[in-house]
Amino acid sequence: MEEVASLEGAVKDYGPKRIGPITFSVTGGDIMGFLGPNGSGKSTTIRMLLGLIRPSSGRVRLMQMDPLRDHARALAGVGYSPELPNLQSFLTPRELLHLMAKVIGLRGREAESDAFRLLERVGLTEYADYRIAKLSKGMIQRLSIAQAMVGSPRFLILDEPTIGIDPGGVVHFRSVFRDFAKEGGTVIMSSHILSEVESLCTSLAVIHSGRLLFRGGIEEFIMKGLGTRSITIQAENVGSGLVSALSEMKGVTRVTMNATGFVVETAKGSDPRAEISKLVVESGARLLSIGYSRNELHEAYVNLVRGMAE
Amino acid sequence: MRPDRVVAFSRYEVRRAVARKKVLAVVALTVLLDTVPYYALAGAGLALIPAPFHPYLWAVGVFVPQAFFLQFIALLIAAGSMSEEYEQGTAEVLLSKPVGRDEYFLGKYLGGYSLLVIVIIMNSVLSVASATYVFGPQLGLGVLPLVLLVQAFSALVFFSLSFMIGELVRRSSLSYILSSAVFFTSQIVGIYLTIVYSLTGQETFRVASLYLPTSPVNSLPVLLAEPSFPSTVRILFRLGNTGAVETSILFSVLLVAVYSFSTLAIAAAYFARADVAKRIA
Repeated sequence: MEEVASLEGAVKDYGPKRIGPITFSVTGGDIMGFLGPNGSGKSTTIRMLLGLIRPSSGRVRLMQMDPLRDHARALAGVGYSPELPNLQSFLTPRELLHLMAKVIGLRGREAESDAFRLLERVGLTEYADYRIAKLSKGMIQRLSIAQAMVGSPRFLILDEPTIGIDPGGVVHFRSVFRDFAKEGGTVIMSSHILSEVESLCTSLAVIHSGRLLFRGGIEEFIMKGLGTRSITIQAENVGSGLVSALSEMKGVTRVTMNATGFVVETAKGSDPRAEISKLVVESGARLLSIGYSRNELHEAYVNLVRGMAE
Repeated sequence: MRPDRVVAFSRYEVRRAVARKKVLAVVALTVLLDTVPYYALAGAGLALIPAPFHPYLWAVGVFVPQAFFLQFIALLIAAGSMSEEYEQGTAEVLLSKPVGRDEYFLGKYLGGYSLLVIVIIMNSVLSVASATYVFGPQLGLGVLPLVLLVQAFSALVFFSLSFMIGELVRRSSLSYILSSAVFFTSQIVGIYLTIVYSLTGQETFRVASLYLPTSPVNSLPVLLAEPSFPSTVRILFRLGNTGAVETSILFSVLLVAVYSFSTLAIAAAYFARADVAKRIA
């Protein structure tokens, strides 16, 4: 896969505070969740990638180009929605999208149809001609995502994209980002909403106190933070022999019964969900659901970050 | 550099500047200043002003605002052009687009300057129209295009200076204060130096006043327009132009160019290197 963004030992020195050295890369088609506590350096890293700030040392590449020196070329095909976006309050959403389209070089009708398409996609058609100053926080966030998608970029960099958006909107945008990735797009998404990251992202980068703690797959991160993955099984009519049969399965480290079924802990690299399902059904029990436990990412993240703080 | 992007930023800047209430207020004041005095004079009786001046009174409306008012408008438009974008956090979004920093910088500079030129033209058109309406047909209007050109050119000094200050300090209030301080200090020092020179006759004071940034701004339009008018009415050009300094046209043109381009070059060099800040609270 083509590498769309990379940082090699990138450092931003703010005097009393230093972010970096940070080294990681993002390949095409990835949806990378970018996690870290407030002030850990997520926005700085994103801004270095976008060529908005100059690294004090190290190397940053965007689309294989230097985003500072070749800003216009490197950012062609890149869309950015900042954290707590500040958009031109004297414009209307339609005018803002039209402006952004013009700025990136779309012409007349093309700019208008792009603005129309995006207003529809983010659910702002009804508010297209309101002043941005009059819009709610959630609407501004929607508009910020729309402006990032002007000109059909191939790479979206989203800093806290769903803050302030209503639950229905969050679900909608998750599917928008998923479709974007399915069509070959790449996403970097900074977020504090770990359930969102878990459901949407294909990989993670975790930063703490200006240092990169982790870069890799979500499963790898959970294994690193928890040492195990938990599969929750809801079942009825569970026989006594099932637990011992599960305990003997390859890759299973522990089985715990609970009121609705049981929890199976697995070793790194194993995914015995299919085998477990088969075993449960063959034992005569009624399988209601099976899946990785919720909040694993949250627990792993808390463990790792707490470990860093200590 | 792509011209269409520069034009897009220029148009955006005009729109942004017009959306600011203080710029609108100044434009409204321009309209008032260019119309009310003429109609007030008409109401007070035309006999107050000697008849030989009547065909040239358009020059009062065109030249009186030159020393203070037009420069202050230039300052108001330019001082907030860059700084307000940082303060409001809007620069970040615009510069995250695939555009060159040079295109953004030039677009904003040209957009703000275009608005200033529109105000300068409006000032002249309203003055001529009001003078014609109140005092009858006006003479010497052939020099007006040159006057407009020179007013627009000389306004570059404080426009560029304020634009530079706005980029360097990135705070709109501080930018307005510093730009105004430079402007008023230069005007006041110029007046003092002229007075001291008149009293002492010492050449040093006159030469010192020549190099102040307000000196070519005050002098250039007057130097160019004055010869086209009868000597009996030339006093009209000096009204409100207390800091004007006698010097050559070439010297004034050079000084305007040096002040404008040096400040613009500093702003451009700083902008090319500096980080684009997130919203500055």
